[in-house]
Amino acid sequence: MSDEILLNEAAYAVWQTVKERGPIELGEVVKLTGVDQAQVSAAATEASQIGFFAITETDRDELTVSEGARGLIEAGLPEFRAAQKLNESGGKLAMSDFAAWAKETGIAVNDAIKWGTARGTIERAKGDRGAVLVLTAAGKSSLDKPDVDVGLLKKLNYQGSCFLDELPAADEPKRVTDLLAKRPELAKIKKRTARTLALTPQGITVLDSGRARKIIERNTLTPEDLESGAWREIKLRPYDVTLAAKDVYPAKIHPLRKIIEQTRRAFLEMGFAEVVSPMVESAFWNFDALFQPQDHPARDMQDTFYMRDPAVAPLPGEDSDQLRIADCGLRIEGGKSEIRNPKPEIVDNVRRTHEDGWETGSEGWGYTWSPEVSRQVVLRTHTTAATIRALAAHCGRGGGPPGSLPLAAHSSGSHPPGKFFCVGWTYRNETISFKHLPVFHQVDGIIIDEEANLASLMGTLQEFYSKMGFGRVKFKPAFYPYTEPSVDVVVYMESRGKWIEMGGAGIFRPEVTLPLGCKYPVLAWGLGIERLAMIRFGLSDIRELYRPSLDALEGVPLWR
Amino acid sequence: MPIVNIDLAWLNRLLGEPYETETLRESLEQIGCDVEDVVDIERSRCPQCGSLVEHPLGQDEVKSCTTCTFESETAFQRVGSQQVMRLDLLADRPDLFDVGGLARALRGTLGIESGLPKYDVKASGLIVSVDKSVLDRSGYRPFIACAVMTLPPVDETSLVAIMKLQENLHWGVGRDRKLASIGVYDLGTISGNITYRTIDPDKDPFVPLGMPGRKMSGRQILESHPKGMAYAELLANHKRYPALVDGKGQVLSMPPIINSDETKLKQGTTRVFIDVTGISQAAVTKSLDTLVCSLAEIGGRIETITIKDADGRERTTPDLTPRSKEISVAEAKRWLGLPLDDASLAGALRKMRFDVEARGASDEARDSKDSRLAPHNSPLSVLFPAYRTDIRHMVDLFEDVAIGYGYANIEPKLVRSMTVGTPRPEEVLSDRVRQVLIGLGYSEIMSLPLTTEEHQFERLRIPPPERYPLVANPKLKAYNVVRTHLMGGLFEALRENRRRPMPQRLFEIDNVADVDDAAETGSAEERRIALVEIGRESGYATARSIVDALLRELGWQPEYTAIEHPTFVAGRAARFAIAGKTVGILGEVHPEVLSNFGLTYPVALAELTLQRVF
Repeated sequence: MSDEILLNEAAYAVWQTVKERGPIELGEVVKLTGVDQAQVSAAATEASQIGFFAITETDRDELTVSEGARGLIEAGLPEFRAAQKLNESGGKLAMSDFAAWAKETGIAVNDAIKWGTARGTIERAKGDRGAVLVLTAAGKSSLDKPDVDVGLLKKLNYQGSCFLDELPAADEPKRVTDLLAKRPELAKIKKRTARTLALTPQGITVLDSGRARKIIERNTLTPEDLESGAWREIKLRPYDVTLAAKDVYPAKIHPLRKIIEQTRRAFLEMGFAEVVSPMVESAFWNFDALFQPQDHPARDMQDTFYMRDPAVAPLPGEDSDQLRIADCGLRIEGGKSEIRNPKPEIVDNVRRTHEDGWETGSEGWGYTWSPEVSRQVVLRTHTTAATIRALAAHCGRGGGPPGSLPLAAHSSGSHPPGKFFCVGWTYRNETISFKHLPVFHQVDGIIIDEEANLASLMGTLQEFYSKMGFGRVKFKPAFYPYTEPSVDVVVYMESRGKWIEMGGAGIFRPEVTLPLGCKYPVLAWGLGIERLAMIRFGLSDIRELYRPSLDALEGVPLWR
Repeated sequence: MPIVNIDLAWLNRLLGEPYETETLRESLEQIGCDVEDVVDIERSRCPQCGSLVEHPLGQDEVKSCTTCTFESETAFQRVGSQQVMRLDLLADRPDLFDVGGLARALRGTLGIESGLPKYDVKASGLIVSVDKSVLDRSGYRPFIACAVMTLPPVDETSLVAIMKLQENLHWGVGRDRKLASIGVYDLGTISGNITYRTIDPDKDPFVPLGMPGRKMSGRQILESHPKGMAYAELLANHKRYPALVDGKGQVLSMPPIINSDETKLKQGTTRVFIDVTGISQAAVTKSLDTLVCSLAEIGGRIETITIKDADGRERTTPDLTPRSKEISVAEAKRWLGLPLDDASLAGALRKMRFDVEARGASDEARDSKDSRLAPHNSPLSVLFPAYRTDIRHMVDLFEDVAIGYGYANIEPKLVRSMTVGTPRPEEVLSDRVRQVLIGLGYSEIMSLPLTTEEHQFERLRIPPPERYPLVANPKLKAYNVVRTHLMGGLFEALRENRRRPMPQRLFEIDNVADVDDAAETGSAEERRIALVEIGRESGYATARSIVDALLRELGWQPEYTAIEHPTFVAGRAARFAIAGKTVGILGEVHPEVLSNFGLTYPVALAELTLQRVF
């Protein structure tokens, strides 16, 4: 039924009460239903707006008993005590005697005379020796019974309020008003707008026809409500949907991990195989294989972490037992290393390349290469250690020792092209600051290919950086020790409106690739993950990336 | 990386006309030099030696002299400012360290001049004799090369520039004076020929730079002169100190520490003697060649010196004969992927201040103009200046070809070969684990893999094992151990969040290492996952539920066995095995561990190995 009137429990009670008792004053409805005044008022207003209630407003005098009234009356109002005294004194007393008595008993003379006069119980008169106070006849007869105002207050039990127009004539509402209007210590009389509620004829029809139905209003439904069908009678209270709700956060991947995963995906999508190398690495793979001379400053104790244990690592082809004390047991159970140990001759190739250039067409560094220095164990200083191992493993699969530039040699005993990348921890012996951590992540990628050249390096970098979210890329000459030519990648940051240096790249020197048996030029590039993350997240302090504060971690959205 | 201030007005004078700063910036960027910015630099005068001192950027006053090391209580007197271009030094290109070298390169890229720079060299007649004592272990600094230069009268600006170039060559080539160090002298203060020999640390006193009027012995200088103290380590094992001494027996300098005050350059000096000594022949030669060629660019004339070596042989330094290297145009084209021919390759190299000629061209032919370049693909020779010692291979020439061609002009391509993208197995597994744990409401954290014995063992009540991966030389003591498990990082995270609402659930996935003599580099590595839960209800049972859930999703069947482990409450810890192989532990954390990390709620913890990596 479209014109059904749905009433919540409170409104329904109001309707019923008004039907049974109306016309009825609103306060009365409050008393009878136990519904609070605001709800009764809201239900009545709503009902009158749709024409089912008639609300009559009248101005009425309401008397409210003051808090101290009982005490004052039970102690005896001053005019009553004055009347008693006059009666005891034979009906009259000289004013001076009265004043002396009043002072003694702590009664205000003026109050006693003023209210006694108002009640008509006391009068001032002229005596032989000055003014006297006289108990009137009315006063005498009133000694035994209280006046109407006091009677009313007593009837109200000295609390609450009443409307004066409701008092029976016997209570003399007029006299009560006169006596109490200006006596706030006993009661206050105020004009009040009283609302009287009544059903209109339509209201009666609606109610009688059953079209006004009771419904229950609630904040939530219980499973019982849903099961029993009681939900039909239940109205869920509407909410202010614009108000804020409580903040919640999902459990999520670490923001830095997110960037690592994005980087890995970029490489995987471009056809790269992921490779790894040990964090605890030999100087041979970390430095020597990259044609870093053994006196290079990057190899200083100042810059590189050297290991005390393990302190020595065998060179490719050497037996580790010859280098270490044999009786140290294993402590991690598990499978075997996945690194293919490349051919032992690469050690000699590397040595000779350092010393005089070997067959690489280079002049070499012109010093005597030391295998001891190369066996030192470091914490890898770059992930190039991983890609160079992958290069050696990949190229060691075929072909004899190379003879000239990698470009020229690919015809005999060739190996397939290869693309490899590694993301991992790298270590530098640094102190901690907002700029530096002693350990951070790098990513390195290499392409071993007949068509590898500076132009394809730039094309690959453009593709890679575009996958990393940098659509605009430019290249600058740079100088890196093991690539020639070397390139710095500069990317455009839309959000900051400027170009920033992002990573290095180049083509491995033949002194790097030929000793490992590589037949093709090799493109190589890398970048620091933390630097990328700082730029992405707008951080100026690298340490922030590793603060495990949940507040901070929750504050970084997964995508932006 | 150090930054050098290049006087813009001077640079433009050397280029012959004033260029827009932006043009210079772009040209420099094309050859790989980063211009930091262009600023006005204030300069003050040292009240002791009278040299100009450039104010460090953003500093209103200076109180110490970079030339004589004088330090004052009050600020030096300011003498005005100068517009400079601040450049990052390229360690590999010392020939671009100063205004002269940069002008030489810019003349090439701006098209003002091309090909090999020409330097007229004549003999000075001066002889430097090398005494065998500098070859001995007791006084070892065996290599020396020297030159004389006639300069336009030295003024304040050129004095600062020469000092700065000397300092930067010490950094870039001399490895902070260890491999090679340079001395520059007013030739007018030197009498007769010079001997390079050793002196007694306690005799042969002289007045060092910056201490006018105070004669000091070599040892006194190392002990109390600021420069002596700074570089004393370089002579720590010497019983005698290397020195240059003139015909009158006057000590001119004590390399690699300091020169005498007497012989220092002054305003108006025009004839300059230069020595470079060191323990690396290559660094010595490179320092001298670079320095004299740069000074030649600011108007100097180079004169050679005859050096009589200890073995009686004579040689002449500097030897600025251009070096030559063969280049194959075909290989350059392939290495760079550029459409080059002989002419464009030669053009690019000339721009970089090299010359190109047909290989084996006779001296006669070399003089004749049209035979310099053979018309077709015969091998070419590249002539490059002595100061370009960075060229050790044909590919180094390729780089200069590419730079001369212009990186911005290269059209990017891709290689055509098809390869397959393949992730590492431990990454595939880690990704699965991550998905399950995030689904279980666990948040990922990352922590650094370097730690200490205290964090790794003591705080977790684990007795330190006999061996673990230990760093020998950490700058910070807080980073001397490579972590062997992931628990430490998680406890640090719980501590950081201990005032946040409970419960909290965290995990970390990463590699850990351990000493393993059977592993190739002596260290085994495996991929681990560790998780913690902290909260009123956390305990063995909650950890067990999570481990069960994780392993169920991975399709692994665990078997649990009770263990005693010092990190956990007795009777509430287990290890678990998959197919008979133990892969992890879990349990309720010992209250003492909680207290060690300031935690006031129970913690449940599990750690397991996902895969052995090495």
